Amino acid sequence: MQIGLADVPALERGVSLLGSGGGGDTVTATALLLSRLAAGHRTALTPVGELSGDARVVPIGVIGATAVFAEKLPSGAEFRAALAAIERWTGHRADALVSIEVGGLNGVVPLVVGGQLGLPVVDADLSGRGVPRLDQLSVAAAGKGLTPVVLAEPGGQVLVLAEGTSIEVERTARAFLAGSGGWAVLALAPIPASELPKCAIPGTMGAALSLGRQALSADAEELAAATGGRVLGLGRVVEVSRRPGPGEHGRTGFARGSATVRDHRSQSLLRLEMENEYLFAMRDGEPVASTPDVLAVLDHRTGVPILCDVIRRGVEVTVLQLPAAGFWTDPRRLQVLAPRAYGIDCDPVLLEVRR
Amino acid sequence: MTISVHRLLAVPDWRESVQVLAGDVDRLVRLARPMAHDRSIEPGELVVVVQPIPATDWRVDALLRRIADAGGAGLLLPEGGLLETTRLLAERLNVPLLTSTAPPLDLLISARMLLAAPVLDRADLVLAVHDALGSRVRPPEEVVTTLRDLLDAPVALLDDSGALITGELPHATEVRVHEPVPQRTRLGEGILLAHPVLLLDTTRPALWLATELADRSAARADVVPPALSVAAAAVQRWLLTNRIELERDARSRAALLADLLRLDDEPTADLRRRAADAGWSLGGWHIGIRIGTQSAVDTVARSREVERVLRAEGVGAVVVEHGDGWTGWATSEQEPTADRVRSLAAQLRAATRELRRTLDVHVGVGRPHPQAEGLATTIAEATDAARMARTRPESGRFLHVDQLGMAQLLLEWTRTDTFEPAARTLIAPLRGQPGDLVRTLAAYLDAESSIAETAAVLGVHRNTVAARIERIERLLAVDLGHRDERLALHLACRAVTLAEGGDPS
Repeated sequence: MQIGLADVPALERGVSLLGSGGGGDTVTATALLLSRLAAGHRTALTPVGELSGDARVVPIGVIGATAVFAEKLPSGAEFRAALAAIERWTGHRADALVSIEVGGLNGVVPLVVGGQLGLPVVDADLSGRGVPRLDQLSVAAAGKGLTPVVLAEPGGQVLVLAEGTSIEVERTARAFLAGSGGWAVLALAPIPASELPKCAIPGTMGAALSLGRQALSADAEELAAATGGRVLGLGRVVEVSRRPGPGEHGRTGFARGSATVRDHRSQSLLRLEMENEYLFAMRDGEPVASTPDVLAVLDHRTGVPILCDVIRRGVEVTVLQLPAAGFWTDPRRLQVLAPRAYGIDCDPVLLEVRR
Repeated sequence: MTISVHRLLAVPDWRESVQVLAGDVDRLVRLARPMAHDRSIEPGELVVVVQPIPATDWRVDALLRRIADAGGAGLLLPEGGLLETTRLLAERLNVPLLTSTAPPLDLLISARMLLAAPVLDRADLVLAVHDALGSRVRPPEEVVTTLRDLLDAPVALLDDSGALITGELPHATEVRVHEPVPQRTRLGEGILLAHPVLLLDTTRPALWLATELADRSAARADVVPPALSVAAAAVQRWLLTNRIELERDARSRAALLADLLRLDDEPTADLRRRAADAGWSLGGWHIGIRIGTQSAVDTVARSREVERVLRAEGVGAVVVEHGDGWTGWATSEQEPTADRVRSLAAQLRAATRELRRTLDVHVGVGRPHPQAEGLATTIAEATDAARMARTRPESGRFLHVDQLGMAQLLLEWTRTDTFEPAARTLIAPLRGQPGDLVRTLAAYLDAESSIAETAAVLGVHRNTVAARIERIERLLAVDLGHRDERLALHLACRAVTLAEGGDPS
């Protein structure tokens, strides 16, 4: 599937919707992609089925403080270094790339990197939406484990984490990020294409593109109807509160917060609990939606999704609930992204109707 | 048992520490329980968050929703950090949302006490008032300040006209002093409570004890009246104790007065001493004053009022409770001039008018007489004048002996209700007899027992007169030669002829 200049706005809208308020700002990554396309480079998405079974697919993406990513631009060398390191450590050549997370900037970055490195980009990812932690990636959820993991930061450091549980990898990666430039390129061990359907979520990049197209051409109600989602509320943000998150093992976790929207029609109060993503919604004190479904807050005027870290009091918004990928609603994996995985002691509240 | 959230807010430890952020405070509370994660909420339940959970936690909102769905009575949280969202939600769901600066567990306990036994709050207050005022007699000022501290509200003692005696009360004028029952008056958000202080033998309250409960405390109005009643009893005790002293004093004064009035000789040294102790001067010139009233009037209690009225009119006089009324006298060093006597009479007349506003009195004033024995004389004159004044509304129930000749005084005396029937009985046997015996007797006595002059006055023969006199003496079984009987019959004839409108001459 070719990605042309005209597709980029739809792709950007789609991946930022799937970010569920997180996943990082797509502006920088989109600008990079646009400049490549404008320079005449061709970009395409390769369906999983078109790869030969033994093709090695390397999951790649940017982790860390994505706000810093916009200030401290990638040189391109980080991706090359990360890929070289993982190839050297595993002894396998990379035949293709796959995004670690379709939601947010990592829905765009692999297309840029694939072009630079001359590798096809597979139409799949390891999240199906925006997820905050490495141990929540689909490969970890599928029981495959993350290691070996390579982290390459813009200052030139490259870290190979050879062994460790997913949780240890997550913790070490955060420590590395804190001690380096704030963001880093993550590359995981190459995955044979034949195993991808079990440990990755196929078709998500293409789905993001078509979601973006629908979002650009329809209003929120129509979008919800077309995607099997629903509008949770339409109104003004009356309060945004942010606070330090519950610490674990003596370290503070991600910052927590809540945003409350008073619905114009019903006057009901829709409270969104957020961390890096919008995680949980309560209408008048009653839970109405939760992760792993995607909760997106759109600027009512422009339809642009508003990230958790920039939402503020007074804006007019539409709150959307979009169905989670089937991968996550499987009872074996549900707990990985369920509210309790984020310290919210509540059962998942998901859309009944699935696509 | 249910109580309103409003009532809970009046509980002392709630009043200071709890703030209402949203919801209807008239909501009825049936039970108060600490929050537990996995139990259902009951209708009328006030949920108290006793474990520390962050005020920003989404579970606070979820709890509000559960309370609303279950028909709960409200949510009490520790103060601080609550999101505006939570307050807006409580408002939207109309669930009372309370925050507290005190430990919620303490408030939970006091709420449960009130729910379990609403009368305990009342009993506690009554006991506290009793403990503070119980053991000894305290002046009203102390009762008022003690009660004010215990109620944490303004308290005042008012007299029977509603005037402030001690303490302070913004709406003292709202007490209805003419309704001698405990009162409860709404004052906007607040409540005015008043309790009469009654003396045993009257229905008219001597004093009023009143307090005002503002705003939040007003919900506690059911607790306060018994405490007010205990305090009123303390004031009553003070009044009664005072009264005993007054009575004792009044009795000794009355006894001294009686001794002085019985005096027919120079007073003994002992009597002089007692008079001096009482502050009475026996020397100089005295003008007697008698203020008579009904036997139902409590003269001891009203003495002060009488003294006050006399003083207000400029009369400096000793006043003693005496029989059904008061006996008094004004003393001067020198013999009072006619002007002085007139102005005193005018002052006393004004005082009588003033007293008659609240008391049915009749007042008599004697002539000036010197020394101790003169005192008895002038008081006797005043007493006679007062007795006459009683039957003479046209005089304003006030008579001054100076205005009457002695003869008139005597005649007036015969007009009294007691004498006239007696007079009629005395001469009744003469009635219905041939010959104008009553007129003949009157003329005979007027003519100083001269049969000739009587015959001339009546225009009959002197033998006729003699025969009639003889018959009269027989019919009445009297001897007209005896001075006492002659006097009695003379007065009786006058009384009867006066009463019948006949001309005595």
